[in-house]
Amino acid sequence: MGVALSRASVESIPLWTRWRSWAPVAVLLALCILIRLFSPNFLSVSNFIGLLNSASIPLVLSMGATFIILMGSIDLSVEGVVAVTAVLVSLLVENDVSSYSIGLFAVPIAILIGGAMGFANGVLHVKLKTPSFMTTLGVGFAGIGIATTVLGGFTARISDQSIRFLSLGRVLGLPVAAWIAFGAVLLSLLVQERTRLGRWLYAIGTDEMTARHAGIPIEKTRILTFTLAGLFYGLAGVLSVAQFGQGHALISQGRLFTTVTAVVVGGTSLSGGVGSVLNSVIGVFVVTILANGMILMGVAPYVQQGVQGLLIIVAVTLALDRSRLDVVK
Amino acid sequence: MEPVLELKGVSVSFPGVKALDEVSFSVGKGEVVGLIGENGAGKSTVLKVLNGIYRPDSGGVFIDGAPVRIASPRDAFDKGIAMVFQEQLILPSLTVAENIFLGREEEFLRYGLISKSRMNAAAAEELRKVHLDVHPGRRCADLSFADRQMVEIAKALSLDGRIKGDVTLLLDEPTSVLEKKEIDLLFSIIRDLKQRESIVFISHRLEEVLAITDRIYVMRDGKVVFETPAKDATVKALHQHMVGRQLHHEYYREARQAAPTAVPAIEAKGLALRNGFSNVSFTLYEGEIIGIAGVIGSGREDLAKCLAGHRPIDAGTLKVGGKLVSFRAAHDATAYGIGLVPSERKTEGLVASFSVAENMTLAALPKFVSNGLLRFGDEEKVARDWIARLKIKTPSVRTMVGSLSGGNQQKVVLAKWRVAGVRVVILDHPTRGIDVGAKEDVYELVRDMTAEGLAVILLGDTLEEVIGLSSRILVMRDGEIAATFDAAPGKKPTQVDLVGYMV
Amino acid sequence: MSIKSILSSRTSRRSFLQGGAGFAAAGSLGFSTPSPAIAGETTWTLANSLRSLANPYHATFAKGGADFAKSIDAKYVTLVTEGNSEKGISDIKALLQRTGGKLILNVDPNDSPDARVIVDEVKKAGGYVVTQWNKPNDLHPWDNNPNYVAHMSFDGVPASKKIAQVLFKAFGGEGGVVAIGGILSNVPAIERKQGLEMAIAESGGKVTLLDFQPADWNEQKAFDATQAWLTRFGDKIKGVFAANDDMGLGALEALRQAGLAGKVPVVGLDGIAAAVKAVEAGEFAGTVAWDPLWTGGMGLAIPYAVATGKIDIAKEPKEHREFYGTSVIVTKDTVAAFKNSPEKLDFNDLWGKATGQIQYRG
Repeated sequence: MGVALSRASVESIPLWTRWRSWAPVAVLLALCILIRLFSPNFLSVSNFIGLLNSASIPLVLSMGATFIILMGSIDLSVEGVVAVTAVLVSLLVENDVSSYSIGLFAVPIAILIGGAMGFANGVLHVKLKTPSFMTTLGVGFAGIGIATTVLGGFTARISDQSIRFLSLGRVLGLPVAAWIAFGAVLLSLLVQERTRLGRWLYAIGTDEMTARHAGIPIEKTRILTFTLAGLFYGLAGVLSVAQFGQGHALISQGRLFTTVTAVVVGGTSLSGGVGSVLNSVIGVFVVTILANGMILMGVAPYVQQGVQGLLIIVAVTLALDRSRLDVVK
Repeated sequence: MEPVLELKGVSVSFPGVKALDEVSFSVGKGEVVGLIGENGAGKSTVLKVLNGIYRPDSGGVFIDGAPVRIASPRDAFDKGIAMVFQEQLILPSLTVAENIFLGREEEFLRYGLISKSRMNAAAAEELRKVHLDVHPGRRCADLSFADRQMVEIAKALSLDGRIKGDVTLLLDEPTSVLEKKEIDLLFSIIRDLKQRESIVFISHRLEEVLAITDRIYVMRDGKVVFETPAKDATVKALHQHMVGRQLHHEYYREARQAAPTAVPAIEAKGLALRNGFSNVSFTLYEGEIIGIAGVIGSGREDLAKCLAGHRPIDAGTLKVGGKLVSFRAAHDATAYGIGLVPSERKTEGLVASFSVAENMTLAALPKFVSNGLLRFGDEEKVARDWIARLKIKTPSVRTMVGSLSGGNQQKVVLAKWRVAGVRVVILDHPTRGIDVGAKEDVYELVRDMTAEGLAVILLGDTLEEVIGLSSRILVMRDGEIAATFDAAPGKKPTQVDLVGYMV
Repeated sequence: MSIKSILSSRTSRRSFLQGGAGFAAAGSLGFSTPSPAIAGETTWTLANSLRSLANPYHATFAKGGADFAKSIDAKYVTLVTEGNSEKGISDIKALLQRTGGKLILNVDPNDSPDARVIVDEVKKAGGYVVTQWNKPNDLHPWDNNPNYVAHMSFDGVPASKKIAQVLFKAFGGEGGVVAIGGILSNVPAIERKQGLEMAIAESGGKVTLLDFQPADWNEQKAFDATQAWLTRFGDKIKGVFAANDDMGLGALEALRQAGLAGKVPVVGLDGIAAAVKAVEAGEFAGTVAWDPLWTGGMGLAIPYAVATGKIDIAKEPKEHREFYGTSVIVTKDTVAAFKNSPEKLDFNDLWGKATGQIQYRG
């Protein structure tokens, strides 16, 4: 019951522990300096814009994923939700398969569809009392299946320029998608810091018993958090269509891994209760810049994979407070 | 005047044990009521009833004279019952203010968003009440243990002024983790609070109870056995009622306490663990029981874990059976014949989903394996053997151990180590949560073990138990051995003797 | 059509039960040889086995098979491996059992070694099989008459070389190119890389390879890599070679972000609709179409002809047993003709589009 700490183990919190939380930022800075040494073009305007382009969708995805992970759950449905929203958006705006053309209205619709799938995640998890690992896996697979069926495995290419503007357009020199991602981060920060939902999901992620004792509505919070994450995934779906000018079932293949990696590398703990959306922003940039940097430096492809794996291990090792762990599963 | 809070004839039963038997007590407005009793007397069950975790099977709870049904801890809180737990329910990654108002943030909403400034201001108010000089925006992970305890108390006190009715504060062993200075502070706060709130004070430190309470209830075996105004009570009398046995030296089978042999089982010299204990030296002889007394944080729990190999020591030498050892993991200790009976019986002592037989052989499986396969026949035979010897009440050897009563479960744990043939048994709160009859059985078993030449280290639930069972007592405080007592039958030290060195 | 629909039709259930009873009987009598020529199943089932329906190539592949099945009014099933060899093999085995061995299978194996297992299973069950793209070098249809009918593939090397040369021509034959590869261990990825390298060698030093990055057939990875290249090489990049259209389209979008779409030519392979459109729009210099419709359809039509006795496969020459299909280079000049070519296959012209026996390159 409760997070019982013996007096002795709490009194002295060594300085080293405090610095642990700054490790991700340090890694990011180190990366940037290292890459800059090898490639002067790294900090050029055009590369910066390229980085923002590459990072926008992962940023939005990681916002949703962070909330889920802070709450102590996991969400494996990312790719499926993005696939469904991307496919539906591509069919609803001017495209070469169907005759709809609802323009930018597709954006709120995509977000709502994502939210609905997130809601399904939450309800299945809570009502069936099944671990989030399983329920989100199922919803994810269902999502890919739906997306595949709707388009029969093919692609819908869009010609709606207003949607494409979301990626190709520039405001104050920066891609619109980057602004949207920035807005998503601000909104997430607001929810995390200033709403009850944010407070409660932290509490549940730290110690569900304590949260229950405080009268926090556990089930409602869980469902709401999954729905919230779905909203972000829906937005990412629209941005994906904007970026590639098409929608198809495999549009977000591989995203789940990079999203969770970014969240973990950023310093949010997979066991819940520790971390923040800002951590995930750092994490996304670390992952994106690393990939970008390795190509700039001409690192061989095989080596790149090895480096990415190493990064995850190092990041988790640095961030994890292992002194409190007696049982490591 | 109607009492603020009252229990009338409340009974609570669990399979095998009656936890509360027609318990009645009341708390008046502005009163500090003490609730004392041995472990297992029913104090924590009373708290759980008041906190909405258990529902009374009969009898009722009354607030300001009206009967109430308490549905959950939050419900209790909303009705004015604020509990401060023994183990902290503070979330370290949240700030002081966030912890104080956890779950009750609606008060500070503005356009659906929590106003940090308003919440911090309100928290500062509450912190003033407990004289805690901490900024409400600080994360609780950065606070000291004692400060966190104060935040818990502030959280409970924040009810004051926020609900319509009267507030009753339930303090469960609040001083066991505090220093003297902090205890004094707490008492002055309690005296302040008396004017507005009523308080139920639970503690096993009788002097404190006498100092701060107005009235005292003594519980034993699930019943309220004595009630007295504090000014009329003495420690001795209270103690008498708590234990209720005239001949309590028979309870601990003192007649069977034999003089220890001269063969050393464990020799410890200068043992130290960072943030745990230091400079611990003693020799444990075969046939002897050494009891270690100390409050939480004295280092005795850490010492027990180190001796059992769960944590490596940082300094000092340890000899087991004359051989110098260095334990890096629990199985090292088991290999040398040391077994730990842990305080968390259900999670650390037994595999709840395994059968009685499977648990008994758990520490000695290699003895039951031939050609790589387990011999179930032998396993069951050995289990039946021990069930008879220890008088374990179980339908069969294949019964799932989780369904046995606490006392019988503990016997299975003891059997496990006997099967493994250990020479040293470390008992960590061995009679916690066991009813009185089973406790006596356990004491009998402990005497059996020493008669067979095993050596025992005992971390007892109560000082009573430590004094009654041990032949020698080490008192630990703040990580060091503060005093050593001989405890031969007839020449036992008193609790007061020990307590002086414990706090 | 799916396995589910097969099971729900009356005939199949009856024959399934009969087949099951027969197996049990045969088993109990200790027969070890496969003899599932159980009386009862009289019609052939046609099946295509492929990685996933979520990509246009395989979606069209499946359609080719379905079209052929419809044309002869036969049962058709699509088996999807999802990139999992064990699943692919066990699905095929299950289908062989269910159909009592009366199965004509056209399979694009998830990995080369799978082909050997699949051919063995089909042989044991008495069915007929055609393999596509991946197989071990020492496994030949002519060593496994009559069940292993043929192996079809497309020669990635000359196709890739040709399309690379199309790319070079598009930027005037001189300058640097960047290349995006598929999953490095895939045979098509290896072949297409080889073709590019041959084209570069033949350019006599006029064209240089600035960098090569595998993007695992994934458009997102191609996008990210191209962005990084633009930073690293800037306007040294005269053209982009992508081992498949999906990646090429990803690279194209990266170019578009930098305002270079249509200015820096891109080529890919697979001939998917989006790439063809890009060729028309001048953003792709060209692509290579593999004719998945033909692959999916003829891959069933040829073994069907064997099964119904129309041809004696043992008598057919080696170039009808292991052969390449016709790939079409689609460029701005040829795109109109390509789009107008009939979508209907002539299922009787079994080897009309074969272009030669498969070569094994060391």
